[in-house]
Amino acid sequence: MSLFLAALLPCLVWDQDATALAKRGIDRVCPSAQVDLKAVEKLPAPGVQYRINEASASRSPWLDGNGWRIQRTKKKQVYYDVQGDGASLAAVEAYAYGADAIIKSDGKGLDQLAGMWPFLKKLAPADLPTMANIGLVDDGAPVTGELMNLLSRYNLLFRILTAPDPHLDLNVKIGSREYPKAEALNPNLLSHKIRSQLTDEKRLLRIYGSEVVLGHLTGDGERVRLHLIDYAKRPVEGLRVRVLGVYPRHEVAVFGAPDAKLLDYSVEGGATEFTLASLTRYAVIDLFSK
Amino acid sequence: MHRRNFLQLAAAAPVFGSTLVENPIYRTFSNHTPQNPPGMPGRYPGTAIRVRSGKSIDSLTGKVDAPTVRAMLSKGMQALTGQDQDRDAWASFFEPSDVVGIKVNCSGAPKVMSTPEVVAGIVQNLIGVGVKAKQIWIYERFPDQLQSVHYDRLVPAGVNIYGVEQQRGSIIGYDPKTYVEVDFFGEDDTRSNLVRLVADRFTKIVNVPNMKDHGAAGVTGCLKNIAYGNFSNVARSHHHEKTNTLSFIGTLASVEPLRSRTVLNVMDGLRGIWHGGPFAKSPKFYFYPKQLVFGTDPVALDRLLIDVIEDKRKAEGAVSVWDRSMKNIQQKGGDLDPNVNRFIREPGHIAQAGRFGLGVYDLDQIRLTQLEV
Repeated sequence: MSLFLAALLPCLVWDQDATALAKRGIDRVCPSAQVDLKAVEKLPAPGVQYRINEASASRSPWLDGNGWRIQRTKKKQVYYDVQGDGASLAAVEAYAYGADAIIKSDGKGLDQLAGMWPFLKKLAPADLPTMANIGLVDDGAPVTGELMNLLSRYNLLFRILTAPDPHLDLNVKIGSREYPKAEALNPNLLSHKIRSQLTDEKRLLRIYGSEVVLGHLTGDGERVRLHLIDYAKRPVEGLRVRVLGVYPRHEVAVFGAPDAKLLDYSVEGGATEFTLASLTRYAVIDLFSK
Repeated sequence: MHRRNFLQLAAAAPVFGSTLVENPIYRTFSNHTPQNPPGMPGRYPGTAIRVRSGKSIDSLTGKVDAPTVRAMLSKGMQALTGQDQDRDAWASFFEPSDVVGIKVNCSGAPKVMSTPEVVAGIVQNLIGVGVKAKQIWIYERFPDQLQSVHYDRLVPAGVNIYGVEQQRGSIIGYDPKTYVEVDFFGEDDTRSNLVRLVADRFTKIVNVPNMKDHGAAGVTGCLKNIAYGNFSNVARSHHHEKTNTLSFIGTLASVEPLRSRTVLNVMDGLRGIWHGGPFAKSPKFYFYPKQLVFGTDPVALDRLLIDVIEDKRKAEGAVSVWDRSMKNIQQKGGDLDPNVNRFIREPGHIAQAGRFGLGVYDLDQIRLTQLEV
């Protein structure tokens, strides 16, 4: 996948009359005969599962996010087969990470997409590179993928590399002396080690008040675009966000809340902080240094 | 490898993440400066007034006798302040311009909580010194617990009854600029923020805890109610059998402006819980100390509370609140077996708060006055 994000709305698998969809605002349709399932990266349904007993070590809900898979894949398109409100989640996830997505869904999913479509369409495009603290050299191994999953889960922002990048705060290469393969067998512990090496102070993004929101940060130094995705089925009430950097000006777009404002906005100590009163599924926040 | 396995490994591993930080590093962020002297330990360090009355509550029915409670409030406040009129006693703490928060405890509601008759009596006395009803806030973190008590039935119209987390876990009711940052076990959300009303609106706070055992903290009285009851994201301190309650409670209670604005503690010991606290899961653990304890020093009051709970547990043949044996620790079943606990209790949090300057822990230095109604 490209380092730069292009604003691209997903393509809905649809074999019936497309005018019915067009009336609902959905204007990108892929007939199933034209979808080559071998050529696309198939993604699992994103979402949250509250498996309290199984995830007892963290008590955090199980979160299935695909941002890392989208970043990792070399295929040009990703493919979701999702039901119900998984469809809107797939759409925003793909949009946030700049994926060219094909979505197959059911009637309820269609309703969800139709609700999300105008919001996505209205967003101003912003082709900005992914921002990251960590460079992760990808050896293609499943265990490296799981590390990506957990880094994403903890909003530890990384970029997938073929070789270390000295401009990043930290570079991780599984199998190196610093990160031996044996350590990578426990990616959860390894993600915490990486976090402690990076330190929270240097983290480009911190999210407080929810365990079910993942952020994706893009930017070029003067402008930052933050994508916030609520992976749960219910809205998150109150979300505090800290973005490293000085950004006195901002614009905000929150799905389902056209008048939403950022509360308690502050720029102090080299960081910008704000509160989002409510997040239902997706928000895009643009921060400007001037 | 499935993610479940990663998490289980993480729980067992002795290094990073998901393991307890024994000596956590706390960083407090607040723009508020302390008053001189701060509310805790306040005007009467090392002083406690205990007022008992056998008529205050019927042990069989749980019915509270409101006139007796009012008499206990009167006697306790007059003894604490040295005044012989209620109005003068309360006016020594509060003035008409104050916005007063009454921090109740409803985690055991609707069975064991800050008794409505006690809270109503406090409200009545505040109004008596000229504080308007609309300037009084009865508050608790969780609205469902608070609403189950129905304080509204006993207090005048206009008194605010406010649950902070309208959605459980929401941080919108907390002040983003006043918080304690600490990492206990690798959790990603490392902030505990102060209730926004405390930071922005209240000028004074009356703390009304209960007398309860607490599975993690040992006992829950003044300190625990004012600390964990005024900050977000606190349950993370008891994530493992060995908890961080020892130092976290006093750290939170020390944060300004909470410390300065908490000027009075009225410990409601009409009912109590001697095991399974802070919740009230089984009536067999309820008991009736039939007392109110007054003071400005939360450490002194909580030091006395340890003995109340410990004596009752001893009388019931239960293990001590000081017991640290791992053989008595089980993740399940502890709520109903008084010899089993989910956590290693940390009643030492009270002495720790004393070391933070919040009050007097040494029994020899605590002046306890015992009165009867």
